[in-house]
Amino acid sequence: MNAIFPTGFTAPTALYLSLFAVTLVLHAVFMHYVLAGSTYLAFGRLMGPRRCAVCGWQSILVDWLPFATGLAITAGVAPLLFVQILHGREFATANLLLSHRWMAILPVLIVCFYLLYLQKSSWLARRRWVWRTVVAALACSGFIFIAWSWTENHLLMLDRDAWAPLYESGALRYASPGVLPRLALWFFSAFPTLAIELVWQGRLLGLDVTRPPAAAEVVLGLSPVRRLALAALSGVAGMTAAGGLYGQTLTAADREALFGPLGGPWLTIAITGLVVQGGTWLAAAFCNRMPHGLGVVTTIGWLATLCGLVAARESIRLVHVDIATLAERHATAASISGFPVFLTCAALTVIAIVWCVVAVRAGLAR
Amino acid sequence: MVVGGLSVACDIMTPLEHYPVVDLGPLMKGLAIGGLGIVHVFLAQFAIGGGLLLFCLQWLHMRGGCPLARRFIDGYFKVLVLVSFVLGAVTGVAMWFTSIQVSPRTIGVMVLEFHWVWATEWTFFCLEVVSGYLFYRYGPRLPDATRLRLLGLYAFASWMSLFWINGILSWQLTPGGWLENHDVWTGFFNPGFLPSLLFRTISAAAIAALAACVLINAVPGFSREDRASLVAVCARPLVFMLAMPFLGAWYLGVMPADSRGWATGGNVPMTLFLSMAVGSSTLIGLYAIVAILRQRLFVNGATASLLLALAFVATAGGEFVREGVRKPFTVRQYLYSNSIARDGVAVLRARGSTTDDPYPVRDAASYANEQLVLGARVFRAQCSVCHTLEGVNAVVELAGGWTIEQRRINIAQLQRTKPFMPPFAGTPEELEALVQLIGWIAAGRPTSWDLSNDGRVLDDIRRRMDEAGTGPGSPTATLAVHLREGPQDAGVRPDGPP
Ligand code: HEM
Repeated sequence: MNAIFPTGFTAPTALYLSLFAVTLVLHAVFMHYVLAGSTYLAFGRLMGPRRCAVCGWQSILVDWLPFATGLAITAGVAPLLFVQILHGREFATANLLLSHRWMAILPVLIVCFYLLYLQKSSWLARRRWVWRTVVAALACSGFIFIAWSWTENHLLMLDRDAWAPLYESGALRYASPGVLPRLALWFFSAFPTLAIELVWQGRLLGLDVTRPPAAAEVVLGLSPVRRLALAALSGVAGMTAAGGLYGQTLTAADREALFGPLGGPWLTIAITGLVVQGGTWLAAAFCNRMPHGLGVVTTIGWLATLCGLVAARESIRLVHVDIATLAERHATAASISGFPVFLTCAALTVIAIVWCVVAVRAGLAR
Repeated sequence: MVVGGLSVACDIMTPLEHYPVVDLGPLMKGLAIGGLGIVHVFLAQFAIGGGLLLFCLQWLHMRGGCPLARRFIDGYFKVLVLVSFVLGAVTGVAMWFTSIQVSPRTIGVMVLEFHWVWATEWTFFCLEVVSGYLFYRYGPRLPDATRLRLLGLYAFASWMSLFWINGILSWQLTPGGWLENHDVWTGFFNPGFLPSLLFRTISAAAIAALAACVLINAVPGFSREDRASLVAVCARPLVFMLAMPFLGAWYLGVMPADSRGWATGGNVPMTLFLSMAVGSSTLIGLYAIVAILRQRLFVNGATASLLLALAFVATAGGEFVREGVRKPFTVRQYLYSNSIARDGVAVLRARGSTTDDPYPVRDAASYANEQLVLGARVFRAQCSVCHTLEGVNAVVELAGGWTIEQRRINIAQLQRTKPFMPPFAGTPEELEALVQLIGWIAAGRPTSWDLSNDGRVLDDIRRRMDEAGTGPGSPTATLAVHLREGPQDAGVRPDGPP
């Protein structure tokens, strides 16, 4: 634990830790879009039909949230696999303790998924506005419930002393002071992600914020880029507050991992990224546009925050498990053949996916 | 290693790993995983077959063979996305989560052993989602050649996900040479791999063809002639069903003899499920080949829906058989249904199956004495994966009417009582506690209940357990036979005397 994550462990452990962290970042890229996007939409709907019609972000979200949800689920499968190689026993135990409550995320996910498609339907468009608000609010609440369940499950994994009493009590809820601030941290961290993703997506779909806004795009006195800046800056502020609160609930060992050589550098990267994002979004709000260069810097800041957050998160978990014992399991896992097949297929799949996008763009251009 | 009072073993083949056992009340756990599995498999096969069908339709269309295909493909794909991308994907994750709820150790072993295979499958899953969604969004505006390539990629990716997962699932029943060398590719390309892959591919094609017939009738804007011509094209994959009996026989042939025995008369529910699958498939196949393809009868929406419902029944029957015939193992010759390692029974008979279990019994105070609480722990560890106490497949129903002596003998020689049950893997004290628990519940849970700790009874139980040994009950299910003769040995009555 005296070297930066994920070094300082045996090679197999470092390999699985890296694969888990990378795929979790990928999951977060889409999961954040869904979590913050559905919240943005639910709040946006409160502005009424005329204003919503002007807000290009809401149209993009209505259109793309179902696909993003599909991607969030698909991207979630890989860390789900690797977390079981790394911490299979703890993960399964927390799942089992939360039992029906945990399994509830699945029907909720199905309902939310269909609610997102419903938002795109002409059937809902013909109903009264309030129904669109209700549908958006329900979808958003469902995703928050799912996020809460993942957070609760994660914290329960780490708290071995709670397992037996929780099982005996039959309670399906793990009440820990860390759950709410941690959930808030994830929730708020989703907004800077959404904001920068919308910047790039908007460019592809014709909502370009590098140019000064047209008067017709202004809603409640805010141009499109300022609406994104507001979301991103609220996220940055919320993350800072939630992070501070969450820090209070950490044990001394957790803090040592977080601030020591294992997680400290990553925490620094995450905070630096956050500062960068705060600065660039303030600048964008001030200039009322997000020039290309500023967008690139914001993206780098955002990626730094996300990667730093995920690595710091794992550093804390590592003090709760006997990594030396688990290293044996990881060595066994790594001795099983198949890694080259995975790497080859992953590379081919990436090529095929890129080809799909290029071919579709070319096809549409024709 | 001991952390926070709980022992955390990391050697995957420790005799037994203790997890908090989920209580589904009167519902049997097998029903939960089986029910979900059926829905998921049906949806997944719809997606796989759908991709193949649409690719072929697009190709035919470009060769002038099916002028209406383009419009139909776009309609079909919308349904594919709405049904299979949402329900199919989430039920896939649900399968994983449910497997953890039912048997965390089994899924743990599968994940560890095949994690690269699973990771590889995931890459194709990503490709499937991206290519599929791009087609769904932009397909109608794309030129034919791009559509064909996109559909081709989608179909390939979805079939590849079947390819990878099929190796893992068939390994559970026919691990073959993997038992000796533990090589992942030997396990993956196991004896059941090919028949199962071909069978599932044909099932997928058939389900997609039937779903197409339903949709052709449901999509507005087609005339009766249009529909008839589309049905004639879309029903063509049903002809592959002719190969199903041969593939089914091949699969049955490579199954372990005792598993084959359960499905072909040795176990009534398994045989019924197999008959259900065979009967429904035969009906669909006959109707498809005689009526649709030979006599060119028109299939209306109602008939198509009925045929699709029959296909669901066939899937349900097939999946229940696949899950059921593995008994008494979840991974043949390796891990028993109750997650006890095959080689760990002897250890647990000496050490006890509950000794290291850190999880207390809920409502322990409601039991009349400590022995009954121990009985509840034993039930939880060894029986609860397949039985409930008083709900579906309840032990109290099954064994409550036996005399106490019968209970002792039958549980001590559980694998002989029914060879699809694993051997009892605990101490005589634990067995007696279980016997007392069943008697106590059958007697209506009286508030006082005498302790049973007669040394002679315990000696007798040990003698009976030793007599039955620590291996599985069916003579053909022993590892020695499996390795010596391969799984093909036949002619043994699965529920006959050992
Ligand atoms: C769109 C709905 C989803 C939301 C809103 C969501 C949210 C979250 C959140 C907030 C976390 C972090 C928990 C924490 O660190 O406290 C997380 C982690 C994770 N999620 Fe998701 N998730 C979603 C769907 C899924 C699905 C469907 C899967 C699986 C296929 C998945 C797999 C994972 C995994 C493996 C982790 C890491 C767990 C751990 O390390 O303890 N997620 N998710």
